[in-house]
Amino acid sequence: MSTETKKVKTVKWGEEPKLGWKEAMYLPAIASGLMTALKHAFSGKTTTRQYPDVEPVIPANYRGVHRLNRDEAGRVKCVACYMCQTACPANCIEIIAAPAPKDDPHWKDRDKFPETFTIDELRCIYCGMCEEACPVDAIELTSVYDLTGMSRQEMIFDKEKLLSVFDETVNSGRDPIRTNRGALGPASEEASTAKQGPPPPGRGRHG
Amino acid sequence: MYDFLQQIWPTLWPTLAAIGVILAFVPVLGLYMTFIERKLAAYVQDRLGPNRVGPFGLFQAIADAIKLFLKEQVIPDHVFKLLYFIAPTLSLMTAMFALVVMPFGPVPTDYTSGFRYIVAPGIDIGIMMMIAISSLSAYGIILGGWASNNKYSLYGAIRSCAQFISYEIPLGLSIIGIVVAAGSLNIEQIVAAQSGDFWNWNIFWQPLALIVFFTSALAETNRLPFDLPECEQELVGGFHTEYGGIKFVLFFLAEYTHVVTVSFLTALLFFGGWHFPGLSGPVDAGLGGMLLRTFVLVAKVSMVVAFIMLLRWALPRFRFDQLMGLAWKGLIPLGLVNLVCVAVVFTFDLPKHLLSFTAVFLFVASLISARNLQSTINMPRSAGRPKAGSILSEVTV
Amino acid sequence: MAKVIVNDVEVEADPKDNCILAARKAGVEIPHYCWHESLSVVASCRMCLVEVGEKKPDGTIAWGPKLVPGCQTPIKEGTVIRTDSAKVKTTQQMTLELLLLNHPLDCSICDQAGECYLQDYTYKYGKAQSRLDEPKLQRMDKYHIGEQIALFTDRCVMCTRCVRFTREISGTAELQVVARGSHEEIDVFPDVPCDNKLAGNVVDLCPVGALCSKDFLYKKRVWWLKHAESVCTGCSTGCSIHIDQNEDKVYRLRPRENPLAQGHFMCDEGRFGFKYIHDERRLTRPKLSDAVSGAANRKSHATTTAGSGDLSFADPWTDVLEVARRKIKDAVKSDARGFVAVLSPFMTVEEAYLLASFLKGLDKRVRLVLGPVPMVGSDDKYPKGPKGESPAEDKVRFTIRAEKCPNRLGVEAVLRHFEGQITGLEQMMAGANATSWFLVGGNSEGWVTESIDRAVGQPGLLIVQDIFPSPLSERADILLPSGSFAEREGTYVNHSGLAQAVQAAVRCPGDARADGRILLELAERKGLFNAMAIRKEVGNAIPSLVALTEGDLGEHGVKIGGVAREPIHS
Repeated sequence: MSTETKKVKTVKWGEEPKLGWKEAMYLPAIASGLMTALKHAFSGKTTTRQYPDVEPVIPANYRGVHRLNRDEAGRVKCVACYMCQTACPANCIEIIAAPAPKDDPHWKDRDKFPETFTIDELRCIYCGMCEEACPVDAIELTSVYDLTGMSRQEMIFDKEKLLSVFDETVNSGRDPIRTNRGALGPASEEASTAKQGPPPPGRGRHG
Repeated sequence: MYDFLQQIWPTLWPTLAAIGVILAFVPVLGLYMTFIERKLAAYVQDRLGPNRVGPFGLFQAIADAIKLFLKEQVIPDHVFKLLYFIAPTLSLMTAMFALVVMPFGPVPTDYTSGFRYIVAPGIDIGIMMMIAISSLSAYGIILGGWASNNKYSLYGAIRSCAQFISYEIPLGLSIIGIVVAAGSLNIEQIVAAQSGDFWNWNIFWQPLALIVFFTSALAETNRLPFDLPECEQELVGGFHTEYGGIKFVLFFLAEYTHVVTVSFLTALLFFGGWHFPGLSGPVDAGLGGMLLRTFVLVAKVSMVVAFIMLLRWALPRFRFDQLMGLAWKGLIPLGLVNLVCVAVVFTFDLPKHLLSFTAVFLFVASLISARNLQSTINMPRSAGRPKAGSILSEVTV
Repeated sequence: MAKVIVNDVEVEADPKDNCILAARKAGVEIPHYCWHESLSVVASCRMCLVEVGEKKPDGTIAWGPKLVPGCQTPIKEGTVIRTDSAKVKTTQQMTLELLLLNHPLDCSICDQAGECYLQDYTYKYGKAQSRLDEPKLQRMDKYHIGEQIALFTDRCVMCTRCVRFTREISGTAELQVVARGSHEEIDVFPDVPCDNKLAGNVVDLCPVGALCSKDFLYKKRVWWLKHAESVCTGCSTGCSIHIDQNEDKVYRLRPRENPLAQGHFMCDEGRFGFKYIHDERRLTRPKLSDAVSGAANRKSHATTTAGSGDLSFADPWTDVLEVARRKIKDAVKSDARGFVAVLSPFMTVEEAYLLASFLKGLDKRVRLVLGPVPMVGSDDKYPKGPKGESPAEDKVRFTIRAEKCPNRLGVEAVLRHFEGQITGLEQMMAGANATSWFLVGGNSEGWVTESIDRAVGQPGLLIVQDIFPSPLSERADILLPSGSFAEREGTYVNHSGLAQAVQAAVRCPGDARADGRILLELAERKGLFNAMAIRKEVGNAIPSLVALTEGDLGEHGVKIGGVAREPIHS
């Protein structure tokens, strides 16, 4: 932290360039402006995306609509630890936890589960902190980007809706389970390969 | 009564037909010009433009029209109702009225019978009437801005007022040169004077007049780079902020009608109108000849329109002081110089192509202004400003 | 006092202290699980191992050969404690690794997460990874430990604090360690659950998430809770507590250590007895009867008594307090002797003072009486003997008192000052001849008995300030919905004359208001209700409460004069 290593950048006041007679006559400037406009008009290039007709290619680490993952037994993976709710900077997650029904053999090995799990998709800023915070990889952001609704109420997703997002997306090919305890998912792999070359050998696609 | 009708019918029906053509074509033209402008803008910006309605988006204009007509008529509470309604009407009315003396095809030399491509042929004060009437269109804007009872609209209106008054002078000066050369205010005669060779077109011996005329005319139409009365960024739309739906359409149509008028005038006054070298003989020689000449005129006009639209994407908007400076310090002196030169040439019977050298004045004027503009433009801001190259601050990184 | 050197810092410590307490005085934390100030020392967790030596008069330090448990090692003059040496740190790491060997690390579903000493100490003193390759031992959760207590067996670190508590403090000895070695578990005898009246304390004592309160289980993560320092109103012991709330809902009460009041613990009656503050029957809207509101006020009356469908944002209190003030003044003017105000022992000192000074300010002849003081059985003393008998007086470590109200002494002090004597409501009723009543309740349970109801009858003016509906509130001319203890601010004086400050933890339900605010506005005093300001005023006005003059009573409260000091146990 010594000061010698720091560079001093000097900010100088610049003067706007003086007008020459060419600029003062306006006409050459107009001509060059027109040339630029014409060049673009006839270049035939276009940056327009034909969105509803042509679906865009979504990067693997795109953060879209949330989903709640299921475990192998088809139960909600979430253990209602409130980590996502705590991490959420937009306060859009609301969980009510309950003790798992111990009498039900289906839930025998679980202590706590979310009785309700609500995400206000309108309030959400899609930062992915919930995904980051989740200790059991239960909440994930999918690549579903075209989320619409006719009312605000409809955009408040409950547990069933979030699980149905999982059911719809998990086999779509675009949204494999991204995170897996300890190992990084394909999204991060893609990001790292882009910068640092191929992934280390012997690493599975899903961690 | 019947006898009277029978008597005037041969002259009445061409007039009615011409009026019909104008009334029918101006709105459609306005609509499709917006479409073309949007397409052109899109291409210049590497986009596609409207392409969802109909083939190539051709019906977009119609969809827009239907939308605008069906829109809810919002009348703000705080406006002056009477003027608020009159303003757009007045705006479009004056714009259309200017077309009365505008030939939109080869006007026959004998216009006592048959269709004649103009509502009122043979008006000896034609060009003057056109300028007089199109000046009235300032009223529409000023009334609209004032009736809106909104400071941004009023700013737009006042700007427009100043702009109209300033730019009418160079506009008039530049036309006087042409009028002097043709010896008539009648547009058909001005066009007739340019028949024959290319070199007879006014552009080739009065280029300075063209520059002054076209610049001023652009300012009169409120088109970029002179659209200060309605600039969105500063005035949220200017005089038409409070207008929507059909009322806005009227303003909009008026603007495009002005563009059409200006384009026609440019083609007629400087580019030989419906004349083209090689197309000789009387203008009313058969239907084919007339159609060909109509096509020539429309082609010239289209070129000018396209040029105006392209200019919009080539030039940034002027600052208001620069706008006024351009009129009073640039265009008016140049217009006067041009007029004096024309007068000299015609008084002493000099070869008229000497006038091409009036463009030299443009060059000289630019040299002078290059020295002066710099100081005048920067003057208000330069006080108390750091010297160029002085160190403002040092940032550790 | 003895001079002790902790990590090169010299401090004065009590010779009775152990190393942990001496180090605490030097601002050094020695981590510990099994040791607790109120319990006997077992030195079983090995977390507090430190280097201890003795400074000889010649300046040399004779270090002990081994690390010693700080909890078990007494200090003396010249004791030297080192907690930051590499040896100590390595040992702490190893101890934590061993404690966590079979720990399931299910922090995400553990209620203790956030206030767990395993988490805290691992963060500060532990290592990041376990070297255990074998599968962890998994043990069944035990929901049968007690009515309020569940045991998550595999989270337990076998500190036996809970076992010692039931043996030493409650004396009931339900909990014990069963099996040996790594199969050690906490358990109860079959069919003898841990249901004594102090059982909830084992949850607080448990330094990890093994013992959990079923009442609070999975209700809220602890880091959402906000804490207010308050006093339990369950009995006149006046245990210092924390009220843990989130978004105006109280989730739990926890004892707050206070050597002047109760020590470290609280009873389950108080711990779980707060539910009434969220009862749906709470009075939430001030009301004027038709007779009182009068024809002139018909319109405003309609807005003040309208039901929940009323969307008017007008403050219903403005009218009600206005009418109440006028009616009280009229009643006092016409028959001051017949105006009786009943002060509840649930009121704070400040509230009692505000009401008393307001009414006595109108007319000296207004009568003030003490509301019914709820008494249930006799004082319940702990630790119990093997047959459930009470301990000898000098062995008492915790007492649940029969007087089930927090502030009889405080209200009595106010009454004695303004009235000269203390009359109970029951004594008063026979020859009351009252024409107007101002009854203040605020009790946790209904207090209006049939005899009170009959004695009050149908007076000229009936003002009721309470939190629950009663026959009296039904027919009150003016009904003032007030606040429970969690919503009040003020001072409570416990059985031994300890005045403790109470902080408001939550807001009143609906339009109800804390009593202090109602009475302040009723008395037309300027400003907002500020308990500290009123407390200073009370201290200046009432000689027996002069200790309140200070305003800030501190964490532990202050003793007021005039009350014999009782020995404090535990």
